[in-house]
Amino acid sequence: MSTATPESAPLTQTAIEQDYDAIHLAFENIKLKHRADLGTKDVEHITSMRRYSRIFEVIGRSLICVLPGPLALIGVPFLFLHRNIEAIEIGHNVLHGQYDSFESIPQFHSRKFRWKAPVDEISWRQEHNGVHHVHTNVYEKDPDLNHGFLRVNDQVPHTRLHYFQLPIYLFLFYPIMLYNFNAQNLGAVDKFRERNFPLGNKGYAVLDDSLRLSDADVKKRHRRAVWRIWAKEYVFFPLLSLVAGFGFFKVFLANLLADVLNNYWIALTIQATHFTEPLQPEDAVNNKGKWYVSQLDSSVNFKGNRWQSILWGHLNYQVEHHLFPDIPAHRYPDMALEVQAVCQQYNLPYKCNHSWRQAIGKFFGVMWRYSFKDTASQPTLTAFLNKGVSDVK
Amino acid sequence: MLNKLLTAVHGLLIAGLGRDRLEYFASNTMNAVTEKLDPFIWSYDCQAKVVAIEQETADTKTFVLLPNQHFQQPKAGQHIEVSVQLDENGKDKDVSRCYTLSKIQQDTVSITVKHQAQGKLSNWLHTQAKVGDTFKISSPRGRFVYGKQAKVMFICAGSGITPGYAMLNDLLAQHIVPDIAFYYRSRNPQQTIFQNALAATDKVNFSYSQQDDRGVMLDQLAAFKDIKQRHIYLCGPQSFKDQVLTFLKSIDYDLNMLEVEQFTMPENASTQVRNFNEDVSVRLKSQNVSFVIKAQDCGQSILEAAEAQGVQMEHGCRTGMCGTCRTNLVSGSVSGNHLGKTIYPCTAYATSRELVLE
Repeated sequence: MSTATPESAPLTQTAIEQDYDAIHLAFENIKLKHRADLGTKDVEHITSMRRYSRIFEVIGRSLICVLPGPLALIGVPFLFLHRNIEAIEIGHNVLHGQYDSFESIPQFHSRKFRWKAPVDEISWRQEHNGVHHVHTNVYEKDPDLNHGFLRVNDQVPHTRLHYFQLPIYLFLFYPIMLYNFNAQNLGAVDKFRERNFPLGNKGYAVLDDSLRLSDADVKKRHRRAVWRIWAKEYVFFPLLSLVAGFGFFKVFLANLLADVLNNYWIALTIQATHFTEPLQPEDAVNNKGKWYVSQLDSSVNFKGNRWQSILWGHLNYQVEHHLFPDIPAHRYPDMALEVQAVCQQYNLPYKCNHSWRQAIGKFFGVMWRYSFKDTASQPTLTAFLNKGVSDVK
Repeated sequence: MLNKLLTAVHGLLIAGLGRDRLEYFASNTMNAVTEKLDPFIWSYDCQAKVVAIEQETADTKTFVLLPNQHFQQPKAGQHIEVSVQLDENGKDKDVSRCYTLSKIQQDTVSITVKHQAQGKLSNWLHTQAKVGDTFKISSPRGRFVYGKQAKVMFICAGSGITPGYAMLNDLLAQHIVPDIAFYYRSRNPQQTIFQNALAATDKVNFSYSQQDDRGVMLDQLAAFKDIKQRHIYLCGPQSFKDQVLTFLKSIDYDLNMLEVEQFTMPENASTQVRNFNEDVSVRLKSQNVSFVIKAQDCGQSILEAAEAQGVQMEHGCRTGMCGTCRTNLVSGSVSGNHLGKTIYPCTAYATSRELVLE
């Protein structure tokens, strides 16, 4: 069943003012039900994720070290699995505070956790949890909507750089996506735009002044976030291999490959699960029901089984994640059924792509389309985005 | 032997790297192996290690402590809470007491403890603690610190000398030393803690209760001619504090200029509930900031109260939806949006007199 909305007006404009309270209550009930159910199941999930990650790490690093020449590539997928689980299924979810309430696992408390990713935790939490999740798809407010110099809607002023945004992102930015995000969270990216773009930050979100750090602090945090990864991946383990007689550069290059794959994977996962249009109203956050609807309107799932979902950090359940960011993510597949029932009841769309491939293809389409200045003559974007998207409820 | 070696290594680590860099290193290398390897460094708790024990008087010892990287640099006059697991009828029980820091150095701090036969913790410290022992401590607390006044006076008695001693040393090391008067009353010269060090500063007027009775003491205090112009820091046993207070009132001293040391212990469940005509003191552990929610502002959420005091807290939607402000209670209690010890400061309200957040 397809639910093509003809125009790109946000749902919060076209729908249902009087239903907001009821919608709020319905989603709130799902949240409360799962909050009440938190327990050993969640602790077991996160600790077993850490266990798997360790096993993959040991296998991956040993194979890379021991196997000769190109055969060392066999170890890379294992190392990638370790990096990937640590970065999203563990890191992203823990830093949302999903496991804060379990006293027995302080290592997974959001303020104590240290990410095995080149991202400063404090500024990430503030930018991602406090801004992106609150003002999702709000023009000039959501930093993840137009990160870097990306142009994915008409309102962002066009520059010559945008003609090349697709190849630049594909070949230059996505391989180092996490490093880019870190620079954005610390406020380095909007400073760059301010200096180098003709219209400065017009069309892009800017770090709030109250969160702005001194230049020295930005440098320190950036250095610390990055060097903990580099020291391990590009200094410690290559040196260890060298000392053991297996050579330095083989390990260095294999680790680099795993790092790039990890960045690429995460970039594609996040990009493919956010609808870039319609833009949402800034005041959605003032009404809980309206906020839920705006979250629903900005996110799109794609299908995958439970094991695959772990590799996407359960972000293929982006709808559930944006509705309930601080409920442990492994519950999203269960919650999805309940969310779909609510959508059915209030006639809200629940968007889902058939596959990751389809979702990625769409996002690339959007990037291509807005590489060019004039898009007015083309069919509306929402229709394009919704093409082939099914309403699975 | 091994213990001594480890203590020396910890000292070198903290001195060499500094607490900030050690925290960066330790937190990023924390795992199941390192936690077992060295639970002093690879730990989420603020802990301290005894690195030296010095006999001050017959019944008083100074314990020099090396805190790990979670400790924040204290101000002279502040105290810490020491928690030790003691065996009580075959059961391990956490016993906690507050002690003022008597010496504050770059990497170490000292507590000076008088032996109380009935006191569980002072008894343990005096009879069993040895170099290399570790225990949990709190970060430094208390507002009994020098307030940058030009003319000050310290009035101390007995083991109440500890904050005065720390502050005196701190002030004497400053570029511009304020005008200091110092009155210290103890039983006799033999039982005077820090006797030699204090005498060497040439600032201290000693008084001995075995020679000079209360009347003489009041005359001695009255002999400080400009006492009414001085900010007074008062610390000692309750009866002594009461006597001094009565004296100060009798000479019409402005009591707004008086600071009295008080320990703040985290409250336990039975004393937790506050009256809504009381102020709440809130501490954010990770940021090392404190602020007070005034009794009349009890309708404000913790986040709003913090902002009203100019304190930044992580936050997002302000309605309890996004989970950005989510943090854990270390001690105290709240009402509103919380889940066990996890609270949402944007939609939670303080219900205990003291609140410590992660």
